[in-house]
Amino acid sequence: MDRNRFENWLKNIYATREEEISCSECFDLVSRFVELEVAGQDAAARMPELKQHLDQCRACRDEYESLRDLRLLEEKGEFPSLDDLQNSIQ
Amino acid sequence: MLSMSDGRTNEEWLYALNTSGEIQETALTDLRDLLLRAALYFFNRNLADFDGMNRDKILHCAEDCAQEALIAVLNHLLDFRGDSKFTTWAYKFAINTALMTARRERWKGRSLEELSFFDNSMFFEWAMADESSWSTPDRSALQDEISHILREVIEHDLTEKQRQVLIMMVFHEVPMDEVVQRLGTNRNAIYKMLHDARRKLKNSLQARGFEVGELLALFREPR
Repeated sequence: MDRNRFENWLKNIYATREEEISCSECFDLVSRFVELEVAGQDAAARMPELKQHLDQCRACRDEYESLRDLRLLEEKGEFPSLDDLQNSIQ
Repeated sequence: MLSMSDGRTNEEWLYALNTSGEIQETALTDLRDLLLRAALYFFNRNLADFDGMNRDKILHCAEDCAQEALIAVLNHLLDFRGDSKFTTWAYKFAINTALMTARRERWKGRSLEELSFFDNSMFFEWAMADESSWSTPDRSALQDEISHILREVIEHDLTEKQRQVLIMMVFHEVPMDEVVQRLGTNRNAIYKMLHDARRKLKNSLQARGFEVGELLALFREPR
């Protein structure tokens, strides 16, 4: 384990709460969270339990980050077309 | 919520998907197209997972993800509460499927034994490697104490399953869905095992008087 990961692991251990939401609850709520962010609101303050789960769960965080970035591109009218996406895979 | 997405409001999406005939057919085609783009978007960000796979096969995987996601969306239509754009809600099914496909591809061929291997040296490989450059006897003694506490918890306080999951995910960085598949369980169960393990580790460290700032300072290289 390298230094950064060890530090992050310690932080995660200390950020542990007695009750945390599950991955299913996270999946259920994450589109709302992303929509708040796209609207420029403080999603983490509005939905702290979801934010806590995202900080602890790599799988849910990876999905969230992709959803957020895709949604931001869409908001700017820059979500790539099917052709562009297919062509960019080499 | 009246938000437009590709020409349809949320209500229009729901109406079209729940009706029949040409309106439904068109909506299904449009939705599948959007889900395919979401899956391809994820694959493009994670091409390293497909190292060695040819382009046609990757595109085929994306088609499969889109189809699987479409079925999942249709099966969960009643769960949509309208607290986001319909398409944002739908994209997450495609991204979820794409992530599971990509991670599975990356980790196939690694044995469970290899991914569950653990020994004491794995804790502080980095600290040992550059010990001479910054470590002091006091710092070393404290680091040894912390590593001893963590090891004690891992070896004696965790259940066998908690230990296995922690070693796979924390020490070997195996993605959750790979662990889910190998152990034949689900994300919620794995998350709960890690959560319980974290609680035990936190309680043990705090019971010995260690707080997070102090710990991080102890392991951080002096600037």
